[in-house]
Amino acid sequence: MSTGEVDEQVRLAIMRAFVDQERPPSPNELATAVDLPQDEVERSLGRLAAARLIVLAPGTPFIWMANPFSALPTTFEVLGGGKRWWGNCIWDGLGVLAAVGMDGEVRTSCPDCGDPLRLEVRGGRVGGDDAVVHFAIPAAHWWDDIGFN
Amino acid sequence: MLLFRSEEHAARWSDLRGTPRGERLSVDHQWHLARAWYADRARPGARRKTVEEAEAAFAELGLSGSFWSLRE
Repeated sequence: MSTGEVDEQVRLAIMRAFVDQERPPSPNELATAVDLPQDEVERSLGRLAAARLIVLAPGTPFIWMANPFSALPTTFEVLGGGKRWWGNCIWDGLGVLAAVGMDGEVRTSCPDCGDPLRLEVRGGRVGGDDAVVHFAIPAAHWWDDIGFN
Repeated sequence: MLLFRSEEHAARWSDLRGTPRGERLSVDHQWHLARAWYADRARPGARRKTVEEAEAAFAELGLSGSFWSLRE
């Protein structure tokens, strides 16, 4: 298998775990899922991170983000099909519902006043509370500090 | 990218923190971009958009100018 094929198998296994189990796989679980040695899987994780398809927890081979999913709880809770995920921002929160192809809702709160805000997706349309998305950082710099952004 | 109750709330929050007011997007447009970016992400063969593809997706929504440029 080429490195490109390995990376695609690893990437799909990550996505399957997020979609089905609501969490990322550990490097050990990934190695089992794709039937490859763990060191080869960890090299693949490094390549996927370099390609900005995932973000690893600093200094580790553990997955922090596989956009749109976050491994850690955030202020963007996503509910759909009886499952719960976390998005990295409001774009990713809605992106989770796009990726899993389900109706559902994104729950967050206004950073200014603290009021809860809920967006819902039904039949491919978005609704819910009146709200506006704010982008502080110009697009060219979104990946400068992806944890902040 | 954060969700605010209104443009006024976003502006007040930015001003209090001394951060740029940046740009605002409607929820409908954000949903459009979320689908464009991620609808195929869990499927085989998905990849990130190229700079040209991303800027074209922004342009479809009337998002242009230096803020939405992906070129450093």
